[in-house]
Amino acid sequence: MAKRSFSVATWTPTAVGDAANFTASGYQALQGGGSSSFMNVLEIFMGGQAGASSPTFMTLARDSTVGASTTALTTGQKDAALSPFTAALSAAPVAFVGASTEPQRSSTLGLLNLSFNAFGGIVRWVAAPGEEIGMYGASASLGEVSLSAYTGGTPGLMGSHIIYEPF
Amino acid sequence: MPQREGYLMIDNRASPGIRPEDVPDARFSCVGEGQLFEARVFTCSHCQAQMIENKARKRARAFCFGCGKYICDTCEAVRVNAGGGCRPFAAIIDKAMAKGAIRALTMLKQTLGELHG
Repeated sequence: MAKRSFSVATWTPTAVGDAANFTASGYQALQGGGSSSFMNVLEIFMGGQAGASSPTFMTLARDSTVGASTTALTTGQKDAALSPFTAALSAAPVAFVGASTEPQRSSTLGLLNLSFNAFGGIVRWVAAPGEEIGMYGASASLGEVSLSAYTGGTPGLMGSHIIYEPF
Repeated sequence: MPQREGYLMIDNRASPGIRPEDVPDARFSCVGEGQLFEARVFTCSHCQAQMIENKARKRARAFCFGCGKYICDTCEAVRVNAGGGCRPFAAIIDKAMAKGAIRALTMLKQTLGELHG
């Protein structure tokens, strides 16, 4: 048990409808490390960085198609433990923003709607203790959640993090 | 933070915010220009959807006495239609974990069987 933060310093979400392929670097996704891994999502933060009005309809949802052959994180994209005493897990969770098979957001298993204006807007969601969003396994639909933009608006530049806890 | 209550903040105080005409559908909240929105958030015990507290709500908030927690209106409809049964998300996870454990034990048994003839 060790909390981790999956952060992307600056990115522009790509607006995608439910059950359609995400676009690389246009979403943030978290996938379980194995078929029996369990994780909790604890907090989401988004801070707008756009230079003009950008209504951005972010949503956290489970994925009905999970990412396959995920791309390693690069500059400005980090997945780090919060505690210095964190031990490595045998099946580490996968934080990614791109994959050979891009994930698809479930059309039914939406978890959070977080619409804001990325021109100066800020969003923070924190789960109640014991009421966190749970994930199990590494396959659809319980094994992956994504933070992405829903169709509409003009998604703008932002920075964000997801705090989660794998077990 | 009170038990069972999450927290949601959408701060458009330094932003043009979201206009009603911008929103794709009613699921998305409208926090307008210069507005700060803070709300309590409840987790549906049956599907884990996050429910933003509507202070203007007159109807009773759905509560499952099976698991002793709040549930969303969709799960409440399912619960009532199913005769009032409780099917918490934790039970779904437990079931999946039990299935996984059985599968792992079966594989272990098979592997041991292969090793020991």
